[in-house]
Amino acid sequence: MNQFLQQLVNGLSIGSIYALMAVGYSLVYSIMNFSNFAHGSVIMLGAYFGFFALTLAGLPFALAFFVAACCAAGVAVLLERLAYKPLRDRHAPFLYFIITAMGASIFIDNSVIATIGPTPKTFPSELLPSFLQSGAIRIGHVDVGRIDLAMFAITVVCLVALVLFIDFTRLGKAIQATAYNMKASALMGINPGFVIILVFAIGGALAGVAGVLYGMKYQVFPQMSAITLKSFIAAVFGGLGSLPGAMLGSLLLALIETFVSGYLSTQYRDLFSFIILIAMLVIRPSGIMGKTAEDKA
Amino acid sequence: MRAMTIGLLVAALALVGCAGAQKSNTIKIGWFGPETGDSALWGQAELNTVQMMAADYNAQGGIDIGGKKYQLQIVPYDDKGDSTEAVNVAKRLVSQDKVVAVVGAQGSGEAIPVAPIMDEAKVPLVASTATNPKVTVTESGQVHPYVFRACFTDPYQGKVAAYFAYQRLNKRNAAILMTIDDPYSTGLSQYFKESFEQLGGKVVAEVSYTSGEKDFRAPLTKIKAAKPDIIFIPAYYNDVALAAKQARDLGINQMLLGGDGWPSDNLISLAGKALEGCMFINHLDFDGAEAQPMRDEYKAKYGKNAELNSYMVHDALMMVIDAMERAKAFDGPSIQKALETTDIQGITGHIKIGPEHNPVGKDAWLIKIVGPDMKFQEKFSAAS
Repeated sequence: MNQFLQQLVNGLSIGSIYALMAVGYSLVYSIMNFSNFAHGSVIMLGAYFGFFALTLAGLPFALAFFVAACCAAGVAVLLERLAYKPLRDRHAPFLYFIITAMGASIFIDNSVIATIGPTPKTFPSELLPSFLQSGAIRIGHVDVGRIDLAMFAITVVCLVALVLFIDFTRLGKAIQATAYNMKASALMGINPGFVIILVFAIGGALAGVAGVLYGMKYQVFPQMSAITLKSFIAAVFGGLGSLPGAMLGSLLLALIETFVSGYLSTQYRDLFSFIILIAMLVIRPSGIMGKTAEDKA
Repeated sequence: MRAMTIGLLVAALALVGCAGAQKSNTIKIGWFGPETGDSALWGQAELNTVQMMAADYNAQGGIDIGGKKYQLQIVPYDDKGDSTEAVNVAKRLVSQDKVVAVVGAQGSGEAIPVAPIMDEAKVPLVASTATNPKVTVTESGQVHPYVFRACFTDPYQGKVAAYFAYQRLNKRNAAILMTIDDPYSTGLSQYFKESFEQLGGKVVAEVSYTSGEKDFRAPLTKIKAAKPDIIFIPAYYNDVALAAKQARDLGINQMLLGGDGWPSDNLISLAGKALEGCMFINHLDFDGAEAQPMRDEYKAKYGKNAELNSYMVHDALMMVIDAMERAKAFDGPSIQKALETTDIQGITGHIKIGPEHNPVGKDAWLIKIVGPDMKFQEKFSAAS
């Protein structure tokens, strides 16, 4: 029983990171209707921004976090302006967006390898506040890493803030309207260009936070963008375009992965993740909570 | 116009693709290893070392083969720590660059698939730290004629680790965490298990993960439930650091024991306090007298500490040069024949190549992590 509870906690912890990544991904999908495969690279850059803000610039932790989120948001907007807007203006088919996204991702990853170097970096524990240091806290019969609790809390705060923003502010409603129908909301006076920039900025900021959290828990390394795949599966699982769906999908995916790893074998873990993805796409392409959408590209 | 552009591009590509013809007084020696990826630190250390050694030899006029002096040129490739990539670059080295010998191949996972390529091309390979037996000997027991190594092998390493765990540290229940898709890790884990059980111990949990994994909590939780008194992690330093940190976060406080995949300048900075008091097997003592000259030279030239791989690849290259000098020739078959009778004193100990192309009787060193240092604990001689 203890092992079960412990694995449950493990799964929720991993799920919270997936959720943060998948939500940014889903947000962009809801507006643009394409999978931003460069999202993972923004996550990776966010981690590096946070790392250098903390170590090189010597900023206090909270400020470094904020700087990472802002810089990641900036990168995401830059990506949109340079890579996607030209394609949108030319009414390019969705396939071109995907190829560009992948190309941008490979370019960014390899630029980091070529400049900063491929050796993984760790956040030095002296520079982290005490609630993020290594060590376990015992709750009942279960041990939770201090850092895992903190990360879970930060993720919850970010996601709640996001949902409040989307549901209760004018800008949030503008985003919802544009996601529903870009042309109609343009006719109603909502500037689609502005909404797109806003969505990429928010998605980028979330990616930045996710990157820093991931980097703190594990390491900062250029190949981090491979995690995008997990967030893609989570987002599809929960329903592409739906934010609650992305969160639910992430938690479920992480729980399934953790229990498969724990009770069967780690070797089957990715097998199950991808089987779920395929099954979802075949049986219920809209995901658990998604709006019906045919084109998942 | 378009045809001309294409024609020019093709010509440019052809020029780039053509390896320069071997100048008459230059000997090309190939190297491949992980310049990028999780083990990048080791790969880069090896590359720095062989380039430093080549520069040193060349500054003294080159190496002397049969009375004539030759300049050494290192031809390096990045295998990204991936076995498929290793096969690709090995093929490139033997067919395109036409090197006379290859050193490096630090990971067993990369060296094993490359071995048949070296045999077929008749170009000798001396592996630096690839310790799995299958690197030099096939599954059916035949020795790869063109593959040698400068390090001890895993059956020996597993025996040493089990001996230390059982006899010296008095542990009776061991758990193992291994990298399932790395033959080094699975092999060493198997040899440890055999030896440990032979001594009377019990392996209470054997858990694995796939390479590239960053989250070890699920397998670690399984280990925790089995209540071992020592955990053997035959993996590479990056995974070990992550796993150790996450183990401590899960309340797993047992001692961790490791193999030669642990030693790295980054291990302790990556793991923080998680590895305090833990131990591992190494090929040499970094603070030993034999290692100091190279350690100092490396530090002066590159500003960083030499890694385990630096010392091992140093000895691997020494073996190749020694073989060329004795054979008074530098074609593949001559070097191969001379390598079989290698008997030199390297900085990692006495290297005498045996019938299976492995050094016979190399010592193993038990090292303990104390604060930011790696401190020598005990030496294990093959005789005992």
